[in-house]
Amino acid sequence: MADPLLNFFTLMENQVGVIVRGCLFADPGAGRTRFDRLFLIGRSSVPLCVDALKAAVAEAKRGKDTQRYREAVECLRIAAPSEPLATLDQAWLEAQEMANHMETTRLLTELKGYKNNLIKESIRMGNEDLGKHLESIGDLNAASETYAKMRPDVSTTKQLVDVGKHLVRVSIQRREWGMVSAHLSKLGAAHRGEEEKAVQSYLEVAQGIALLGQEKYKEAALSFLAVDSGVSGSSYNELASQSDVAVYGGLLALASMDRDELQTCVLDNTRFRALLEHAPHIRRAVAQFVAGRYSACIATLESYRPDYLLDLYLQKHVGNIYSQIRSKCITQYLIPFSCVSLDTMSKAFGGAEQPIEDLLADMIRSGALAARIDTIDKLVTTRSANPRAQMQDSVLQAAENYEKQALDRLRRMGLAAADLELKGSKKLGPHGFASQSDLLMEETLS
Amino acid sequence: MDQAASVLLDFPPEGGIAGDAQYHAAAQSHSQKLDQLAAAPNFPGFAPQLLDHVHPAVNSNSYLTLLIAARAADRLPQADLLTKVATFLSTFDARQIRYRGKAFSALLDWLVDGSLFPASVAVELLTTALLRLDPAGSVLTSHHVALVKLAYSTDNVAPALPLLEKDVVFYPGVKGLFETRPPCALDLPPASYITAESGLTKLLSSSDVMQYDLLRGLCFIRRRAWRPAFDALERVVTYPTRDTHACSKIMVEAHNKWILVGLLLNGKAPTLPATTPPGVQKTFATLGKAYQAIGKAFEESTAQSLKTEFESVGAQVFAEENNLGLVRLVLQHYQRWQVLNLRQVYTKITLEEVRARTQSAETGAPLASEADVAALVQQMIDEGMLHGAIVRPPGAPAYLSFLPPDEGRSEAEFAQRMAATARRLAQLEPLVRAANERLGTSRDYIKYLAGLQKKEDSGRRDYDVAFMNQIEDEDLMTGVVEGF
Repeated sequence: MADPLLNFFTLMENQVGVIVRGCLFADPGAGRTRFDRLFLIGRSSVPLCVDALKAAVAEAKRGKDTQRYREAVECLRIAAPSEPLATLDQAWLEAQEMANHMETTRLLTELKGYKNNLIKESIRMGNEDLGKHLESIGDLNAASETYAKMRPDVSTTKQLVDVGKHLVRVSIQRREWGMVSAHLSKLGAAHRGEEEKAVQSYLEVAQGIALLGQEKYKEAALSFLAVDSGVSGSSYNELASQSDVAVYGGLLALASMDRDELQTCVLDNTRFRALLEHAPHIRRAVAQFVAGRYSACIATLESYRPDYLLDLYLQKHVGNIYSQIRSKCITQYLIPFSCVSLDTMSKAFGGAEQPIEDLLADMIRSGALAARIDTIDKLVTTRSANPRAQMQDSVLQAAENYEKQALDRLRRMGLAAADLELKGSKKLGPHGFASQSDLLMEETLS
Repeated sequence: MDQAASVLLDFPPEGGIAGDAQYHAAAQSHSQKLDQLAAAPNFPGFAPQLLDHVHPAVNSNSYLTLLIAARAADRLPQADLLTKVATFLSTFDARQIRYRGKAFSALLDWLVDGSLFPASVAVELLTTALLRLDPAGSVLTSHHVALVKLAYSTDNVAPALPLLEKDVVFYPGVKGLFETRPPCALDLPPASYITAESGLTKLLSSSDVMQYDLLRGLCFIRRRAWRPAFDALERVVTYPTRDTHACSKIMVEAHNKWILVGLLLNGKAPTLPATTPPGVQKTFATLGKAYQAIGKAFEESTAQSLKTEFESVGAQVFAEENNLGLVRLVLQHYQRWQVLNLRQVYTKITLEEVRARTQSAETGAPLASEADVAALVQQMIDEGMLHGAIVRPPGAPAYLSFLPPDEGRSEAEFAQRMAATARRLAQLEPLVRAANERLGTSRDYIKYLAGLQKKEDSGRRDYDVAFMNQIEDEDLMTGVVEGF
């Protein structure tokens, strides 16, 4: 069985790009995204592969989407050909496809009937039913179109919010982050009343996921942190669970905020604190970062890295987020020192994949860190800014620029006054040049 | 002959002339007399003898006339003539000569055509003469263009440098200027008397101006003076255009060299100044693609892409565009800049690590041995490019130690540099004043001023109908429209 597994993961490495080795417990959660999560785990985690794929196949069979069933079985067939579930259940497939087709036709006919009767509410409900059906059979494109058609027949705020939620959900499933934001902005103005808080939380979660998808970590963090813990998780369960929100919010805040901000926006944030209870390790990491225990913070996060690599939304960004957190830790760590030995740094931050020296070199090169490395004595010296020298430099620079600009303007005036500006001549050469006397151009350097 | 001598020595009168006006009158009438004299049939015959009695620095105009006549008659021994021309050009009176522009230009043309002096002497004499005429070097003349061509094509750049380093801001050919002062006025800016009308220059075309700056750039490149070369080429790159589509081949050529020189100067590709006309920028993007790609590859952290860029275009193409030498130099310098950039990350680094972290763009691979690296680094230190030292501790690998940049500039040094800058800025003042005077007295500007005054005189401002329709009745009371 090892051989097919190996083949499977070589294949997946090319497709997904993330492979998690190491044994752990992963909770696929519940709700609509359950299949997606299972499928992702099955394709990325070595120890959980077969189990997750089997669960995914079962989950797919419970639903109506035949395409995802095919995909799951296909994967399982490569990974574990001997499993009984690894062969396509043709009878079920045909029956389900037929049923889907009939249901689509039925709903379309109904919708046609509603349209003939010109009753707005019926048309809206007809569209909604059709949209839900299309979404469940995996035709997301048609589903979002159908949901969009609900909009003209909306009569109450609640309905408008529903339309928005449908569209946002479908867009997230299609990974169209820009569209999510667009739908959200339409929603933002509409909600009010009793359900406001629930809707608000839903909006923030969706917005956070969309921003995360677009790699806008700071904005995403702010969105997640604005989720109200008083609202029950069920209101946004179709997108993410409460612990997911806590993890996303905490991690992104760690990656994008400084210590003061973390203290005020995360730890002292009464609304979010309750959510953090669902992800105690994240709270611990944040607290450690704020307390200046950077190596402990990184160690905590590292131990959960495989988990996050199996997360539906985080997976692609884990590497990025972690390296941002790490470089922030290093920057903060170096602030009180003028000179630190590389060994100490290596103990505190040394990761398996990159030696600390290279990491520091990269950070210095990108301008994130003002320091110099001494590879002979194995030291890192931080460079203190010298405002006086900087000021003097900028003064000289400014004076020089002024002189250069003044001369350039005088020259331009001179050229304009003498009517010497370049004019396109009537006889244009093959390249559209004004004709030029041939110019003697010798090799400039011998 | 005696009569001729008296005419020749007539100006300037002994004891000097008091005012500009008298000087102008005397110089003009003397100039006419010289013209008559030169036209006399027997004049070339005795001109050579008279030359010894006329002082080149005092009676410059007369001396000039005699020189021309003597050469035309071909009666003077060549060596004698050369000495006299050289003396004249290095001592002539720049005030008098303003009245004999055509003759002076003719004399300068002798130098350019190469029949009299070898090129090296000709370049030096031309430079001296032009700087005597306009010490600030702010006006471009046709002689400048000829000089730079001569200097560059005969490889005599050094003697021309004093002139080439000047910043030209005025160009001949301005129309509609009113100059009330006579040409001899001492406070007259050179741009007002070095004109096509005075004969001291010919009219120039835009390609002349661009060629001048391009060739200046090439001269500096030959001397490996990257900073002035870069500035000179930038003047061509940002040459103003009137049409959106106009772009000259000279500009493209300058742009390509400008990128390469920028790489050598700053270690990174230069960005086009905001003053570059947009149409020209587009042309650069198409025709300078290979060079812009090289500029981009130069900033990469490995040499491979630079090497690939170079090879994909091919030495042949660069050779055809006469840039092969520069491109090769850029390839050579890539590794130097890599070493130099290590300075931003390391204070001390072993030579072995330097070897591992930098690649030669010529081979696309690190240098073969530590000794090669040491040689390269030592060369950079010797040339002053790198501020550091190679340390060889006993029993340990040799390392390169970057010395801290001398940020601790002393107050005195800073004050000195500031003062130097202030001085240079003060030197701009006469140029600004001259430009202001010239443009302020131009016909178009005066017309515009007159028009403006007329409007003001008529008492109230000119509101058009659209504006009046917008105004509510209440606004009238608040005084939005005064005098309505």
